[in-house]
Amino acid sequence: MRENFRKELKDLKANVLDIGRSIVDATHMAVQALVEGDLELAERVIAGDDEIDQRCLAVEEHTIEIIATQFPVARDLRLLHSLGYIVMHFERMGDLSVNIAKAARRTASRRGPQTLNDLILAQGNLVHRVLEAMLEALDKKDLELARKLQDLDEPIDHLFKQFFRELARLQDEEDIEWASSMVLASRYLERIADHAVDIGDRITYMVTGQFEAPPEEEG
Amino acid sequence: MNHTLVEHASDSTPLADSSVKIAVRGLDFYYGDFQALADITCDIEDNAVTAFIGPSGCGKSTFLRCFNRMNDLIIGTKVEGLITLDGQDIYAPGIDPVDLRRRVGMIFQQPNPFPMTIYDNVAYGPRLHGMRKKADLDEVVETSLKRANLWKEVKDILGRGGLTLSGGQQQRLCIARVLAVQPDVLLMDEPCSAIDPTSVQKIEDLMAELKSSVTIIIVTHNMQQAARVSDETAFFLQEEMGQPAILVEFGRTADIFTSPKDKRTEDYITGRFG
Repeated sequence: MRENFRKELKDLKANVLDIGRSIVDATHMAVQALVEGDLELAERVIAGDDEIDQRCLAVEEHTIEIIATQFPVARDLRLLHSLGYIVMHFERMGDLSVNIAKAARRTASRRGPQTLNDLILAQGNLVHRVLEAMLEALDKKDLELARKLQDLDEPIDHLFKQFFRELARLQDEEDIEWASSMVLASRYLERIADHAVDIGDRITYMVTGQFEAPPEEEG
Repeated sequence: MNHTLVEHASDSTPLADSSVKIAVRGLDFYYGDFQALADITCDIEDNAVTAFIGPSGCGKSTFLRCFNRMNDLIIGTKVEGLITLDGQDIYAPGIDPVDLRRRVGMIFQQPNPFPMTIYDNVAYGPRLHGMRKKADLDEVVETSLKRANLWKEVKDILGRGGLTLSGGQQQRLCIARVLAVQPDVLLMDEPCSAIDPTSVQKIEDLMAELKSSVTIIIVTHNMQQAARVSDETAFFLQEEMGQPAILVEFGRTADIFTSPKDKRTEDYITGRFG
């Protein structure tokens, strides 16, 4: 029944997963560019963002078209609605990767303190782990994994706070200038992971049909 | 709010809830030896539109016809269980089916005006129930045609034959004819499947207007229509040939069409079978 419609939904989801893969790559490359001072890599991230934006927009348009013409209900409706939201998050995550790549541009000429470099790298690795888990949860409609994203996000927030503490210890003025770009990058990474957690909430809704109340913010 | 019907299936006590117009408890229905419906329990809300959906042959029209005892006219049928209207058992001895059918009116798939004038079609029921004065009849004809959103189109041609109207107008004439006897409940068995889209829209609008004074139950094959017009939706299914149909899920229409609780409902409304 409704074979073409089924295929259309399947293709659309595959497309969204593919855009998600581009987001994971862009974030990974941006962190690498930042840590290694690789300008060429930073430029690639910046240049690639337009395509991500266009693909996200195309998905959004496609979901509206399907809703208008196919009258999806129940799980199909929830899938379409969720995919529309997810690409909106992807678009912002792409922009944040661009911001990290721009930070890489500003910091490339100087090597700052190793501790801070290590912190960014560690944070980048944790974000990578969250993004991979998010894609898997979306792909497999894995409710447990979607709910786990919140836990995976926590150490990223801690590292961001730690980054601030390390920043306060810096004496050298040039180090401080370098580090202020790095702290912004750390903040962008933390935001990217937050988007992944929000996507986890969308996946939960997609699977269960229920909006789950977000956990209360810490003091 | 989804009703937890299955859990209540064995409970034979109608709810004392005043928002319930019709209560059904443990209803079984038979055509001779064949059991068509099994153990149906549900509450039909007052002043609301309830839609019955399900694949062809799932018993939804059969169930609908239980509410005005139209099935009594088919030889060999048998009803077990309980249906109450305003708390009163409609199958109790002493209940006059003709009087019941005045309180529970019915609209069919094919518009079926009587071969008489528009005026006489609407005045037919009131006359049958003893209304004789012309002024009274005039008033009831006008009011009923207005309630059926047909007055403006026919007020100058009331003496013309009902069958000269378009299909959609004929269907609204039939609705006016039913409304003329002041029913509590309006049963609609696929009322829009034989008429044009503009008329469908008029009838859907009409349902929204009428539900403040009449409880409406509609059987429809058009799921978008069920989603558009109804407050509550019931999904019926005959899982195997030869088996009786059951009520799978009953709940708020918005819930059924976004997050149905039963996988069979989900599979049906998303077009995975049926």
